[in-house]
Amino acid sequence: MKKMKAITFVGFLAFILIISACSSQSGGDSGESEGEVTLTIGSWRTEDKASYQKVIDKFNEENPDINVEFKPSKNTEYNTILNTALQSGEGPDIIHLRPYTPGIELADAGYLEPLDDLEGLDQYPEETLAASKGSDDKQYGVPLNISTTQMFYNKKIFDDLGLEEPQTWDEFLTLSQKIKDEGITPISLGTKEGWLLSLSHGIIGPAHYGGNEFVDSITAGETDFTSDEFQSSIDAMDEIKQFFPENFEGLGMEDIRTMFFTGDAAMFPLGSWEIEVLREMNPELELGFFPMPSAVGKDPTITTWVDGSYAINASSEQKEAAKKFLQFMTTEEFGTMFTEEFKMISAIPGIASEDELVNSLSQAVENQSTPYMMLVHFAGGNPSTKATIETELQGMYLGERTPEEVANTVQESAKSWYEPLQ
Amino acid sequence: MRPAMNSVVKIKKQRDWKRWTIHLFPIPALLIYGMFVVYPLFAALTYSFFDWKGIVRGDFVGLKNFKDLFTLEPFSGLFWNAFGHNILYFVLQMIFQNGLAFILAYIIYKKVKGSEFLKIAYFLPRLLSVIVVGFLWKLILNPNYGALNVILESLGLEHLQKAWLGDPDTALISIILVNCWYGIGFGVLIFLAGLQSIPKELFEAAKLDGANGLSMIRKIVLPLMVPSFMIMTVLTFIQSFEAFELVYAMQGSQGEPYHSTDTLAIYFYRLAFGGSAGGSTTAVGLGSALAVVLFIFISFFTALYLRYMQKKQVDM
Repeated sequence: MKKMKAITFVGFLAFILIISACSSQSGGDSGESEGEVTLTIGSWRTEDKASYQKVIDKFNEENPDINVEFKPSKNTEYNTILNTALQSGEGPDIIHLRPYTPGIELADAGYLEPLDDLEGLDQYPEETLAASKGSDDKQYGVPLNISTTQMFYNKKIFDDLGLEEPQTWDEFLTLSQKIKDEGITPISLGTKEGWLLSLSHGIIGPAHYGGNEFVDSITAGETDFTSDEFQSSIDAMDEIKQFFPENFEGLGMEDIRTMFFTGDAAMFPLGSWEIEVLREMNPELELGFFPMPSAVGKDPTITTWVDGSYAINASSEQKEAAKKFLQFMTTEEFGTMFTEEFKMISAIPGIASEDELVNSLSQAVENQSTPYMMLVHFAGGNPSTKATIETELQGMYLGERTPEEVANTVQESAKSWYEPLQ
Repeated sequence: MRPAMNSVVKIKKQRDWKRWTIHLFPIPALLIYGMFVVYPLFAALTYSFFDWKGIVRGDFVGLKNFKDLFTLEPFSGLFWNAFGHNILYFVLQMIFQNGLAFILAYIIYKKVKGSEFLKIAYFLPRLLSVIVVGFLWKLILNPNYGALNVILESLGLEHLQKAWLGDPDTALISIILVNCWYGIGFGVLIFLAGLQSIPKELFEAAKLDGANGLSMIRKIVLPLMVPSFMIMTVLTFIQSFEAFELVYAMQGSQGEPYHSTDTLAIYFYRLAFGGSAGGSTTAVGLGSALAVVLFIFISFFTALYLRYMQKKQVDM
């Protein structure tokens, strides 16, 4: 009988990993003198390879004996590749850890080395450390960066049309209508890839459910997802679809990014990690951002979370060297370099950037931040509540679900595993 | 007597030894087969009986994973949804891929000049990697700058333009048709080989008896090509119930949009490995249970079909 591909796929993945592990070792041998060690870093940031090389070069100035190789894999498949490797006792020495539930899951499973004795950890605020703190209250990761999501906009289009950053939700709608009337797509968003939907709900939602207050009360179990506050955030997602591009249901990440940096669309609800990509694709793009103005009379919000931490593989043979590298990642020297090179907000407090946009983002984070609720608090369950809202919103945009059904299904999903809501 | 006996024994021993060494040669292949096919199969079977916390194995739970898979929402709904898609995959592939492949093979066999070239041309897509095929067609089907919509527009058929891969009504069908395009060359080769194995005299005899085009196909060609149809049906059946690569290359592991392109293998991948970007959790137990169900289903129906067809062949 013919065998089953689905199962052999597991074997295949393992096979690939063995091959890559072998090749990395043989590659490292060449020209390696005694006393030198080689560390590998696993990550999902394929776009940052060049920048990481600069970080590694800097690290090597003081630690010439430690060779570091940055080996990223595709964003969407990183978890799979990493999990399979860890299960077979393999994997990179240094692990770029997903924040919150998926990362903590690895720590709880014993795949990571506790870092409590690492110098420099005490400088991070508690909520930043929470992204990689195990259920045993030990710290497993060095927080790398704060990610933010907000509405990016094309300053040139805004200037040409005489528009200003909106201060209220109504202004936001009027402004979008004006852009649409000019024949320009107001909001560059596609619904083909579900993750974009929980992400954009993370930007638009807080303006309707009322930011941190709602997050506090839902995590305390005082309200739920069927409440009017949350329902209005889903309704708003439905309302703005009139400002999406043509055929939005067939557009993915690449498509909407291209629309925005080529000037076909005026606004782009996405994350801080896009800044670097957008500028690379179109250096002439005049990029601005605004915090989401509230529909319920509160302060505008920037949505934030810890996007990644770095951890050490418990089965690594080079733990001491790996710790040195993580130690380096807590220094101000690294923080400054990180902000400049990656155009992202370092998790190390008080690092200023020379980049105006990044700098004003970090300031906005200090004053107006609200957590990316679905990722920070509701990434658990199976399928996760975050994945549920993604599919449900997708269904809503395709006309298969009503906004009420979306909210109800999200509530059902959260209730199945999130204790405060039970 | 003695020396002669000795040499006989010697020769026999040598033969024995030779016979034995022959059996050593498959070992490398068997090792690979065992490691990557047999072992994962049994590993998945054992995994499916356990409770999993993330990627750590928990307690033995017997058949609970199987029960959840078929009775607990959203798992059971997703299972039947994906199952239906696999059936559609099979039916459309049988019609468009194998049906067309037979017609093309017959045309090539009959007369057309340059049939060697056509054979190669139809087979060409098969030489591309599935990922490349998926990527190419993703570009062609892109709603706003893809070739298909541009062509439709230039023909004045704007009303037919669609977000082919974003509309749940067309996404899966688009993928299946791409798969047919990809697989048709293989079908043509199999059918052509089948046609060429029919003795020429049979055609001549049939012609003398007054058989013309259609009745020739019905009475002579089709019955004699049962083995080719059998092999194509079995291969298509297995392939459609394992459909993964192309769907994955074109739509990723979420069965997007809105589960409209979910197949059992994609659903398995998502359950067992988590799959999506960032915050998604894994359910190794449920995933393994699904893999086991899929394996049993495919082997059972393939065996049944092969038995049935073998009987039929004897009857003729």
